[in-house]
Amino acid sequence: MKTYKQMIWIFAVAAALLITVAGCTKFLDRKPLQATLTDLNQGALEAQSFGLYSTLRGYAGWSTLPWLDFNSIRDDDAQKGSSTTDGAEINTEFETFLYTKDDWATDTYWNDHYAMINQANQELYVADSLKASDEASLRNIGEACFFRAYAYFELVKAYGEVPLLNFYSLNSKDYVKPKSPVPLIYQLIDSDLNVAAKYLPVNWVDINNNNKYPGRLTKGAAMSLHAQTHLFRSDWAQVVSYTTQVIALSQYSLDPNFPDIWKDGLLGAGKNGPESIFEMQANIGENGTSSFGVQWGTSQNVRKGGASNTWNLGWGWNTPTQVLQNAWDSLDPRKAETILYSGRSDGGPSQGGYGATLPAYNPGVLLDQPYWNKKVYSDPGMRSFTGQVGASGGADWINHRIIRYADILLMLAEASNELGDGATAASNVEQVRARARGGSTTALPYIPFTSQAQMRTAIKNERRWEFAMEGLRFYDLVRWTPATDGIDAPQALGTLGYTPRNALYPIPQPAIDLSGGVLVQNPNY
Amino acid sequence: MKKYLTYESNCFHTVKKALFIMKLTVVFLMVGILQVSAKVNGQTKISLKLNHVEISKVLRTIENQGDYRFLYNNNLKSISAKINIDVNDAGIKEVMDKMFSGTDLTYKILENNLIVVLSSTLTLQDIKITGKITGTNGEALQGVSVNIKGTGIGTTTDNAGNFTLTVPEKGTLVVSAIGYISQEVGVNSESVVNIKMVASGKSMDEVIVIGYGTARSRDLTGSIVKVDGKVVADKPNSNAISSLQSRVTGLYVVNDGTPGSTPDVRIRGTVSIGQVHPLYVVDGVFSPNIDYLNPNDIESMEVLKDPSSLAIFGVKGGTGVIAVTTKKAKAGHTTINFNTSYGFKKLVDKIKMANAAQFDTLFNQENATNGVPTPDYSFLTSNTDWIDAVTRSGIYSATNLSVSGSSENNRFNMGLGYLVDQGIIKNQELQRMSISLNDEFKVNRSIKVGFNLIASRNNNPYDVTGSGTDVLNNARKIMPQISAQTKSFRVANPYNNSDTITTNLYSTTDAALQNSGVQNPLIQLQNEWNKDIDFTSFYTGSVFAEINFLKHFTFRSSFYANLSYQDQRIYKPLYNAYNPVNDSAELQSQVTQVTQNTNNNQVYQQDQILTYMNTFGNSNLTVTGGFTTYYNGVFNIQGISRPYTNGAALPIPDDSRFWYMSNGFENPAQSTTTSSQYENSTVSWLARALYNYKQKYYLNASFRSDGSSQIPSKNRYQQFWAVGAAWEISREDFMQNQKIFDYLKLKGSVGVLGNQSTPTNAVTNLPINYVEYPQLNTGAGTVFGTTPYNAAANSWVPNPNLKWETVASQEIGVELNAFTNRLHFEGTYFNKVTDDLMTFVDRRTLGVPNELINGGSIRNWGEEFAASWNQNLNKDWTINIGGNITFLNNEVQSLAADLPTGYLDETFQNNGSAESRTEPGHPIGSFFGYKVAGLYQSNVDILKSPPASSLGSYGPGDFKFEDVNGDGVINSSDRTFIGNPSPKFYYGVQLNANYKGFGLGIDLGGVYGNKIFRTWGSLESPFQRVNYPEFKINSWHGAGTSNWDPIISQGHRFNYNGSTYNIQDGSYFRIRNLQLFYTFPQLIAKNSWCKNLKVYINVQNLKTWKNSYGYTTEFGGDALAFGYDNAGGAIPVTTTAGINITF
Repeated sequence: MKTYKQMIWIFAVAAALLITVAGCTKFLDRKPLQATLTDLNQGALEAQSFGLYSTLRGYAGWSTLPWLDFNSIRDDDAQKGSSTTDGAEINTEFETFLYTKDDWATDTYWNDHYAMINQANQELYVADSLKASDEASLRNIGEACFFRAYAYFELVKAYGEVPLLNFYSLNSKDYVKPKSPVPLIYQLIDSDLNVAAKYLPVNWVDINNNNKYPGRLTKGAAMSLHAQTHLFRSDWAQVVSYTTQVIALSQYSLDPNFPDIWKDGLLGAGKNGPESIFEMQANIGENGTSSFGVQWGTSQNVRKGGASNTWNLGWGWNTPTQVLQNAWDSLDPRKAETILYSGRSDGGPSQGGYGATLPAYNPGVLLDQPYWNKKVYSDPGMRSFTGQVGASGGADWINHRIIRYADILLMLAEASNELGDGATAASNVEQVRARARGGSTTALPYIPFTSQAQMRTAIKNERRWEFAMEGLRFYDLVRWTPATDGIDAPQALGTLGYTPRNALYPIPQPAIDLSGGVLVQNPNY
Repeated sequence: MKKYLTYESNCFHTVKKALFIMKLTVVFLMVGILQVSAKVNGQTKISLKLNHVEISKVLRTIENQGDYRFLYNNNLKSISAKINIDVNDAGIKEVMDKMFSGTDLTYKILENNLIVVLSSTLTLQDIKITGKITGTNGEALQGVSVNIKGTGIGTTTDNAGNFTLTVPEKGTLVVSAIGYISQEVGVNSESVVNIKMVASGKSMDEVIVIGYGTARSRDLTGSIVKVDGKVVADKPNSNAISSLQSRVTGLYVVNDGTPGSTPDVRIRGTVSIGQVHPLYVVDGVFSPNIDYLNPNDIESMEVLKDPSSLAIFGVKGGTGVIAVTTKKAKAGHTTINFNTSYGFKKLVDKIKMANAAQFDTLFNQENATNGVPTPDYSFLTSNTDWIDAVTRSGIYSATNLSVSGSSENNRFNMGLGYLVDQGIIKNQELQRMSISLNDEFKVNRSIKVGFNLIASRNNNPYDVTGSGTDVLNNARKIMPQISAQTKSFRVANPYNNSDTITTNLYSTTDAALQNSGVQNPLIQLQNEWNKDIDFTSFYTGSVFAEINFLKHFTFRSSFYANLSYQDQRIYKPLYNAYNPVNDSAELQSQVTQVTQNTNNNQVYQQDQILTYMNTFGNSNLTVTGGFTTYYNGVFNIQGISRPYTNGAALPIPDDSRFWYMSNGFENPAQSTTTSSQYENSTVSWLARALYNYKQKYYLNASFRSDGSSQIPSKNRYQQFWAVGAAWEISREDFMQNQKIFDYLKLKGSVGVLGNQSTPTNAVTNLPINYVEYPQLNTGAGTVFGTTPYNAAANSWVPNPNLKWETVASQEIGVELNAFTNRLHFEGTYFNKVTDDLMTFVDRRTLGVPNELINGGSIRNWGEEFAASWNQNLNKDWTINIGGNITFLNNEVQSLAADLPTGYLDETFQNNGSAESRTEPGHPIGSFFGYKVAGLYQSNVDILKSPPASSLGSYGPGDFKFEDVNGDGVINSSDRTFIGNPSPKFYYGVQLNANYKGFGLGIDLGGVYGNKIFRTWGSLESPFQRVNYPEFKINSWHGAGTSNWDPIISQGHRFNYNGSTYNIQDGSYFRIRNLQLFYTFPQLIAKNSWCKNLKVYINVQNLKTWKNSYGYTTEFGGDALAFGYDNAGGAIPVTTTAGINITF
């Protein structure tokens, strides 16, 4: 009897203990009563990745005047624009090729690119220390690698050899490094873009077919940039390979109507269109709320000069030159869709306009420039919606289309032609021309392949018209040097003062000073 | 004990008894004091010639010669026999033998020439006696045990202090009660024996509350100080902790003047860089504070300081524990107690600010220095003492009623309290209503159940110390020329523009002279103090069941809840003030607003405790094991309701009916609601053994395993333990022949405790409640398409290896009672090393992720001494003197290796020039800055001195900082450690004297050796024109005029570098409390309805001696920064009178 009782007691106590212990684990399992990073369904690095997009949009060296100076104003088709007195030094530095070693624009371009590199380095360092391996974090790693590669690609185009900083350190002295040979820089670009292409998604469309992140980096963007980097190395087979892969992703297509590429209308109309591969994201909400603006559009829209506030659309930089106006066959519909003329109608919707007539070109009295970059011409609906109108004029919501599908086609054409595949070259050029000609039967006829040289020139010209004012031409001209067809930097830019040393910009003096002389200036400066 | 038989007749029993006790006392005392030198001295010669005299008279004659004393019983028949005696130079033995020859008397010579006279034939009878036991103040003592020595027979007194007992005629009574010196009283064949007890400094047999149980003090190896509830009950402090200041060794209490606020309390030093305050355990439930407790409901407070006592609290024990036990019914009859006190608070030690004339002088002087003209403010004609203008004499009033009763099976206690505690700042008032209710019911011989409920409702005082409303701070800033009076104006009704009203308005400042940083404190105070409805309700409740089984086991199961709920609604009204410059009214507050806050704090706890108690031969063992869980949830909501502000919209009316978030006037788009909330829980196993062998050798061991929801799963359970040993030397055989020590114990303990610290996120300055889940930094945003994305990043990198801080703690000490328990002494050395400090490593400046890591250690060590002496001087006089002193050392031994700077710091406003720095090798939170060597007297002086221009431009009259590192340049690397905010020692003295029914209690206390950092009068914002402290009148104004107070000029930013100029002595000595009372003894005897009546007056903080410019030197703070004198903290003198009646 006693043993029974004891056993019952023992069982009861044991059972109670078990229940208690089992309950304790749950009792002690407490998460914060608000979202943690995991609950937000973002990787540990999401904020840092978003920071890179912010840098792309917010830093002048990536999004506004210095970028335009280095990439667009230097070529023969674009000029500083604006008014005579506004940014006069830029004329000297970038139009007449009297490069300056220490100036706001030049220093900013260098600094902002390294800022992006350091940010990416930091993100990759954090990723490494967290040993982040969840899908979201891997995508973030892909983004960091993309931005680092993109920064180095722009640097290597602008300066040639630059210090290769691909690490993160707490000690600023660690960042004093000599320049690395260009192939080493491309090596880093290659490996970064391979990582980016591996981790970035093909698109951000969810199972409900909603694109949650329109304009966010993709595998296609990484491969497209990779193709560009090979193009600059004349590594034709790789160009063919990457462009072909991008096409095979079936994510992109030419926008049927050329002016539609540049629409930046209400509710985001026109942004991240079918042709968009890599696009700087900007947005301004109603009355300036939700401000993720960028000066890309503001810096290039019509400057009112002496005209009324109605035409206070921007600062008026990066305008078409007379050279472009003269050289461009008016039959090419893209001409009227790229150049906005002072004193004329904007051409209405069919030509990318809104039915307004611009004040006349009359420096100091009305408009200071005869031609404006129509690819950033702001939508009046958005002006009043955002409140960037009148005295507060601007166009901070306009996206910079950095890589678009037409470039994939023309890169494939160029590489195929160099590899002797004239048929592929011709067919890809034709795709671009066909879209451009629209319904026209007279403009932009089909160009059959007759010789490699003939096709090469045709492609060069096609790039000039297709990408006019977009900031690709200067580096194309440098890349094509030397050329026999008259389309290279010395021949196109010689009259402006271009000499061979101008292919590379001098490294900013402050950077050299900071390095205590470890950094050596580019040749001939 | 011998009987002292006197010759007085029996009708004077009572008086005789008292005299008898007094005499015995003297004898005891003499025996004790003279013991060492005493020897049996039979050598004194006696000459005597008497005829036909009673033996008793002969004995008295011998006594009168001075050398001998006799003890005898009057009932001895032979003592009145008449004899003849004639001796000359005879020894005492010879005399005695001659005297007693032919009688039945014999004698015995004892030590100290004490001679006992005995009958060789007498037979003693049992007699029945009654008596009453009273305390030091004549109050009846219930529950006192009265035993017949050597028999085990005894009784206890009832609640009127009476007892009845049958005793052998020759028997001796042993009377003992907790808190009193035990007495042995001979029964003189008398039927009434009344005994007055003398309070003891400490009784070794008193039962004290330890974690999860109680124990006799004697059986423990640690240091627990028990403070009787009476000490806090009649003091004019609405927070009982305040009353412990200067009373307990190792307990450091920094009070402030805000009614009801929690003082900054630290036990045995600052042990952490995070959480440093003790744990409060109220009747078993863990509480963050005891703000809600009515001091009158407190039966006792135990301060637990050592590892042996604290290990049972595990992760919450590292900072010490204050265990509070509330009043329960005692065995006996019904008792009703009513007490009330009423008094006043008065500001003393005002800081001295310039008056109007002094302001003029100094302002002119400053303008001359700066080469600017003094603006005309001659239209400001007042000479206001602004500190007087904002302060008042506050009222303190506390009224309590308690009823308790008990029967054999049931004990019931109920208390009601109402308290009004006004601050010395106008309109600052705390009101508290409280009830307590408990009952214990014996179901049968082995099962007991009970409950305990404490509820209180605080009407919280208007916040006069908020950052925008710091009344005292604004009062010292504003110019004396501004009037503190109101003036009548006819103004537009701010609530209805079509209407005008006549109203009395306060003056604004002259905006040209004193801008928005300085304001007339009365404007906001007088217009808004009654627009803040702020109540906090507290409910603490518990139920328990206790089962005794198998003789030795007790199982107690308790469930507790401790809930508090704060409901606050603040209304921002519309009101005007007048501008003294143009004498016109201006709207001061433009838009109405309602802020509604609710704060909800919940604690749920259960304890399941099994205790086994047994004796094996000479071994006594008590083993306790248990399981306990704890849950704490904090849920706060804050909402702000704003009205529409377009043309026709109405403001929210000045009517509390509308002071809610949704009031019908609000603009939803402008109204916001936020919340914050967290939960944590622990699950713990605990065990403790108290063992002793022959009550000589003691061993205490305790263990606790705490599982915490806050710690990553890898280290979720952490173990804490302690072992203590003690040797009661006074029980050893070799101590039995000495008479000095009644009790002598050596003790020591070692252990490892935990500290459940809450680190602060240096990025957001918010406490970190979930160390495993980093708080998010939001706002790293971008946009995709038109959709903005706000990304969040972790503020720190999660650390799966994180664990709680541990406090390795040791102590060794001695306790003794000597001279018949009159002297009590305790001395303790303690040493504590806190390791694995939970540190937020802020590496933002490096761009590297922040981290929460364990690293670094802090050592606290010191000595504590406490002594007390109790004595009845004679029948009417009793005195008691107690003193305590605590010596304290603190050193940061190391900090987390990953800290980018190698130290932790907290800086104070204005350019961060006031800095508390925590760095290895120095005490925690040390002040850091420049050393002032004097002032530059001239440009020549400057040229001869090391250049200091890296600190800004400077000239004659500015500080000459010491070139500490001797590199010939004064720059930021010449900053050094300039003061330790922790005291070197603190101390207290208590004096109590009683004469008949009168009593006087004096409490003195102080601290020594700490430094405070004065931020006012030197580090004000250079953009604010503030009134000058009076001491600035001696500032430098030309070569040789001063070598300490620098030139007055806001432009001289050089002098805004924190330095020894800001450091002041934090030592003080204070008459902390003074109480005079009278107890009416006749009422006790004559009116059975009134058992006790006491009236008293009490003065708190009567006088403080200090060496600083501020109101006080007492300034609390957090672990890393404390001791800043920001011109606040005024501590009033509180004078109260009270009456206490027991029915």
